Amino acid sequence: MNIFESVKMAVKTLTANKVRSSLTMLGIIIGNASVITMVGVGQGAQTYASEQFESLGPNVLFIIPGSDDARQSTLDLPRTLTLEDAQAIATQVPTVDAVAPQLQSQQVVTYQNRTSNTSIVGTTPDFVGVRDFEVEEGRFFTELDVQRSTRVATIGSDVADKMFGNSDPVGQQIRIKNISFQVIGVMERKGAFLGNNQDDVVLIPLTTMSSRITGNTSPYGTEVSFISVTAEDATVMDAAQFQIRNLLRLRHQITDEDDFTVRSQKDALEIVGNVTGALTLMLAAIAGISLFVGGIGIMNIMLVSVRERTQEIGLRKAIGASQQDILLQFMIEATIVAAIGGIIGTLVGVGGVMLIAATTPLQAGVSSSAVLLAVGVSGAIGLFFGVFPARQAAQLDPIVALRSA
Amino acid sequence: MTQPIIRLEQISKVYGSGNVEVQALSDVNLVIEAGEYCSIMGPSGSGKSTAMNVIGCLDRPTSGRYYLDGVDVAGLSDSELAHVRNCKLGFVFQQFHLLPQLTALENVMLPMVYAGILTAERRDRATEALTKVGLANRLNNKPTQLSGGQQQRVAIARAIVNRPVLLLADEPTGALDSRTTQEVLDIFSELNQSGITVVMVTHEPEVARQTRRVVWFRDGQVVHSHMAPEDLAQMTVAIS
Repeated sequence: MNIFESVKMAVKTLTANKVRSSLTMLGIIIGNASVITMVGVGQGAQTYASEQFESLGPNVLFIIPGSDDARQSTLDLPRTLTLEDAQAIATQVPTVDAVAPQLQSQQVVTYQNRTSNTSIVGTTPDFVGVRDFEVEEGRFFTELDVQRSTRVATIGSDVADKMFGNSDPVGQQIRIKNISFQVIGVMERKGAFLGNNQDDVVLIPLTTMSSRITGNTSPYGTEVSFISVTAEDATVMDAAQFQIRNLLRLRHQITDEDDFTVRSQKDALEIVGNVTGALTLMLAAIAGISLFVGGIGIMNIMLVSVRERTQEIGLRKAIGASQQDILLQFMIEATIVAAIGGIIGTLVGVGGVMLIAATTPLQAGVSSSAVLLAVGVSGAIGLFFGVFPARQAAQLDPIVALRSA
Repeated sequence: MTQPIIRLEQISKVYGSGNVEVQALSDVNLVIEAGEYCSIMGPSGSGKSTAMNVIGCLDRPTSGRYYLDGVDVAGLSDSELAHVRNCKLGFVFQQFHLLPQLTALENVMLPMVYAGILTAERRDRATEALTKVGLANRLNNKPTQLSGGQQQRVAIARAIVNRPVLLLADEPTGALDSRTTQEVLDIFSELNQSGITVVMVTHEPEVARQTRRVVWFRDGQVVHSHMAPEDLAQMTVAIS
């Protein structure tokens, strides 16, 4: 008996039990679809995060307080970075182009009878250039505003929409922590960064922020949350990173472990890659488990089927089927169920990935390797979980099989 | 000199081991010549079914030699035995054992699938076999659409389609009424006249009476092997 005959026979048996065959397939379909969707989502998240960091530009450096170790061991960050550090970097590091320190705090902003809980960012005029923001209307505050700690604010487009509606915000007074600020400009719409709305923000001079809003909290000077720096170009990143680190160690009088971290876009991409890679792996593992469960479903149904078809097996042996013929027949049945389930599951998974790509910012993609893996694995699962029931069938004693009624 | 189809020499079959040992057959000697039409009778537990299973190569004896068509089957592997069952033997069972999802034609074609015969020839030969048992107009019926007698005739067609030398029937009329019993027996005797050796286990004396020889089993042994003298004469003519 050749393979073609066995396949024909298996198809005949499977179509004779349509409901059972399709329910058995369902396990594999779900497993396969979830592997492809999950891997697609994971890779989409990876692409999304990478794009976000790449959009910062290749010559951006971030200086954040605390060493990597310190940040892992405590929730409360050390307040080691100051405005003076930022000024020192701007004036003393030759490869640095612009420096934008930021001090952030979540506060309630009011205009007339409207209130909004908004992120207040104290920074310097260089912020616009370093973070690639544009002013849409009015102006950004100047170095003079920073020196004099004036109470002026440039607001994000979402804040403008929320608080002022159609009226012009420029020239109006808003209150933050009951201190009144004059709105001098509105930023152009920027969109979200890693899920943070960058348009729901009020930008004020850093000095005003630290003296009036947060209060002076650092023993070293005017505290900042972090410092963004642009280097002259992408080729001097390593030099800039090295020079900044040396300067800050000198300023902070550090002899052993740094109390700050200088991170480039490349570093950030690496971290994001690690995190989303782990995420993808975890999702794939969860989906893989459901594929495995689907395989066990096949084995379970095949075992029941062997029980139920004992007489058929006995008869086939009596009329000349060898053990190999019976083994092959049951293996092929299991493999067909797994393979068809795998193909349908792949289609469902690809559909799911396309749906996610269409409805969310995740650019979820179907990788051919995920498809190949899922289809290959489901076929292998059919074979693997088909072997045990098929062996049981092949080794049935024809006399016992024929007698069982 | 023609080989006997079946030659059992000192065949014993023991089931179980130790204290629960059951001697199903003990030192059975039996020769059935080509062209015989023979029935096996005996009370239940007499070993007639075990003997049938050994003869049908479904079971291996514990000791003794069994020559089927001149070949010692003890030395054959499992897949060689499967081939012997496929090509030399035809089985008919009390419960018909047709596959319910297949049509009459497909059921009859099944042994040829395992014999590796091409589809077109399978169809022709299955149609021919079904015509021989009078079911030419029932080719595409499923077993559930056929009466008991018709189902048994499909089973007979399946048994003879690979042109076996020996047809083994285990209580073939046990599930049939007297009219269909006669139909089935008529087919058996036709087949026998066309040269096929027929061996049938039965517990109905009126069925056994229509065969030319009755082998009696009791306590795992052949106690009586009766052959009518006129039949013997006829048979000798047929063989020579």
